[in-house]
Amino acid sequence: MTGALLVVTEVSRRFGGVRAVDGASFTVQPGSITALIGPNGAGKTTLFNIVSGFLRADAGAVTFGGRRLERLPAHRVARAGLVRTFQAPRILTRMSVLENLMLGSLDQPGEHLGRAWLHGPTSSREREVRAEAMATLELLRLTPLVHAYAGTLSGGQRKLLELGRALMATPRLLLLDEPLAGVAPALAAQLLDHITTLRRDRGMTFLIIEHDMESVMSICDWVVAMDRGQVLAAGTPAEIQANESVIESYLGRVQSDDGAPHAPRQSEDR
Amino acid sequence: MASLLLQLIYNGLVVGAILALAGLGATLVFGIQRVANFAHGDYMTVGAYAALLLDVTWSTNLVVAAVGAIVATAALAVGLHLVLLRPLRGRGLVALSLITVGLGLVLRDALFLIEGSQARQYAFNQAAVLNLGFVRIAPGELWAGAAAVVVVPAVAAMLAWTSIGKSMRAVADNRDLAEISGIDTDRIGLYVWLVAGALAGLGGTMLGLVQGVFDPNLGFNVLFLVLTVVVLGGIGNAFGALLAGFALGLVMEVSTWPLFFGGVPTQYQPVVGFIVLILLLMFRPQGLLGKAQVL
Amino acid sequence: MMHLLNPQFWTFVGVVAGIYGLLALALYVQFSMAGLPNFGHVAFMAVAAYTMALLVIRAHVALGWASLAGIAAAVALGFVLGIPSLRLRANYLAIVTVAGSEMIRYLATNLSVTGGPVGSMGMLGPTQFATYTTSWQPFINGVTATLSRWVGGVATNDFSMLCLVWTLLALLLLLFRRLEKSPWGRVMKSIREDEEAAASLGKNVYAFKLQALTLGGILAGVAGILWALEIGVFAPDDFQPTLTFYAYLILILGGMNRVWAIPAGAVLFGALYSGTRFLNFYPLSLVDSGDRAYLRLLIVGVVLVLLMAVRPEGLFGKRQELLLEK
Repeated sequence: MTGALLVVTEVSRRFGGVRAVDGASFTVQPGSITALIGPNGAGKTTLFNIVSGFLRADAGAVTFGGRRLERLPAHRVARAGLVRTFQAPRILTRMSVLENLMLGSLDQPGEHLGRAWLHGPTSSREREVRAEAMATLELLRLTPLVHAYAGTLSGGQRKLLELGRALMATPRLLLLDEPLAGVAPALAAQLLDHITTLRRDRGMTFLIIEHDMESVMSICDWVVAMDRGQVLAAGTPAEIQANESVIESYLGRVQSDDGAPHAPRQSEDR
Repeated sequence: MASLLLQLIYNGLVVGAILALAGLGATLVFGIQRVANFAHGDYMTVGAYAALLLDVTWSTNLVVAAVGAIVATAALAVGLHLVLLRPLRGRGLVALSLITVGLGLVLRDALFLIEGSQARQYAFNQAAVLNLGFVRIAPGELWAGAAAVVVVPAVAAMLAWTSIGKSMRAVADNRDLAEISGIDTDRIGLYVWLVAGALAGLGGTMLGLVQGVFDPNLGFNVLFLVLTVVVLGGIGNAFGALLAGFALGLVMEVSTWPLFFGGVPTQYQPVVGFIVLILLLMFRPQGLLGKAQVL
Repeated sequence: MMHLLNPQFWTFVGVVAGIYGLLALALYVQFSMAGLPNFGHVAFMAVAAYTMALLVIRAHVALGWASLAGIAAAVALGFVLGIPSLRLRANYLAIVTVAGSEMIRYLATNLSVTGGPVGSMGMLGPTQFATYTTSWQPFINGVTATLSRWVGGVATNDFSMLCLVWTLLALLLLLFRRLEKSPWGRVMKSIREDEEAAASLGKNVYAFKLQALTLGGILAGVAGILWALEIGVFAPDDFQPTLTFYAYLILILGGMNRVWAIPAGAVLFGALYSGTRFLNFYPLSLVDSGDRAYLRLLIVGVVLVLLMAVRPEGLFGKRQELLLEK
């Protein structure tokens, strides 16, 4: 596992009597786009929460760039370079798109109470951050919305905003929780495009939870399949699609209408 | 010493019953409106004064007075819920909290206006203390104790075995989940306020009986204890609140026992309650029976 | 009716409005900026006032230092209440602040060292008249003397106090407006909106909340000290929970999200509150004057509830922002 950016080792977490994550282990290589798949309740989001510091694991270790993360609170994990998005975009509805983006930047001395008084809207650092934010807006093709209240954005636009905001935090590893859920096909294609471009141009690593199998398989170079809190298999998209236990875990869940490995692409409303 | 302890335990159970009943109502209401009802103490005061009206002014006996208090407070609670709290529930948590604060203030000051600020008491011989040798029971405490013995098991049974009781508990515990499970939360909300109001009214009457004399600040003075009971039992946990009420009442009374680190002076009992609250929040915010939550 | 035209009365109202404005600003920082529902605000005032008075009366500390100590005490109270509850949901903070403020009032009324129900006058025991204003008098006289050089006879001690309070309020409003527009203010706003989103972007939510609580505590402490100096003597009853309620009313009247709405709300509140003094006409004149106070509170309570129902964004708030609230 040398050179791996993220190493998850035997992580477990239970809620009451339920073992949401049960001894899960996998790695994420730097510069890769890795998918985390599995039916509902497989423990994917719980794992995300643990890796990003929003939840404490009962057992196990998480190493990021050689550094142990499992005891760190969420904000410290983000500062270490591991940024996550949420299943339902947590954009700040009563703030403007620009403000949302500017919030993302990590290095802001004006955020400290003692120095805040020196950093009004015209201070040099603020102008830098604003320029960065505008550039991100350009990248995501959201520039006309710069001053709109984030609450007025459509679902797809919110996803883009959340992505942009995460980018402002200059992450080394970006955890995307179902980035394509509820997004129209055209916008979904755009999102996937951004992901591949960012990986190519900035060397960013991605770990993506997604149900939309077709899209996932098209851009990922590694897939980790989970079920019932455990990692079933990890491998290239082709390997996973042929893996029997993975196929079984999807077919066994007749009630959920998640994508089985060969189902057509869907855009469910979450 | 032992007889003093028994006395304190008895007192603790009576006070505990009052807190349990009021706390139960408050915790159920939390589930309905998702915020604390900061007027709960004042609902109790309304009950006490309604009982006063019946007992003193209209010279009925205490049982009728208590029933009157229950009915009046329940009606008030349901009425305010329908007219004010339910229509405004979309305003956000803090707005709702503020409204309950405002409501409490209005009720309290209306009572000051109507009934005046001098201390009042129920019409029975306060001096006729029942002396059982090892315990001395003031008549007010006797009445309150009797009410507790009847009402607490009845309420517990209702919650445990009737379908309405179970629905109420479900809504209090997790409103969204209850709604998804098909429970008509609006209708249950009405029942919850009915029960909460009734219990507050009874609790207030009992409190007035136990204290002997009281003024319109009666309920407000115990509001934070009621809220502590809610937290102690786990917010939204009905049986938790019942248990917690008794627990807190006992802890507060027994803490004055001289063999307990010299005994807390009686007038600082409320401080004990406050310390319990702070300790709870620091070490076990989910209360005795609640589940640990993520932020 | 003679009250209506009495300038001294209105000056007093102005001072009260200004001090309430400070309280409202404290609430603004804690609640409008950080989303912390502090319902025990008045306790912070009380703690500052009592600490100051106790130090001056019993320990003979100079007024200036005693005031600073009072403010520090208010901040300490914020820590005691905040540290256990800031990691939990907002409801817990609401509960613990209500409890805390009741506790403070209870202790103030029952401890003999705080003068018991008598208050500051009784801090040296029942036989001695205790006061903390001895060094304040010459100071305020000096201010009045200076002011009278510019405005002549208008300058009275009350007028000086009015100027002091409102100058302070104006300065603080400017300061906090600047803070609001800074990156710190932006983070605060995000915390109010969605803590977890803020945490996911590297913001230490707990630390920021504690800062908001501290700033609010300082402001409330200042308000408490000024209040104590204005009324000269105080008792536990001068710090009723209704004061917290009034501060919220001011905030709501002005619209919860505008710093500059605070002075407008404060003045409006002052007028409303004192104006109810003039309800001498039938049928309200049937109410005996002692009870008039309760009637006033009743009306204020009713106004607040109506306001929340009909125009929750206040006078200057933006409806759109309210609609976007989660």
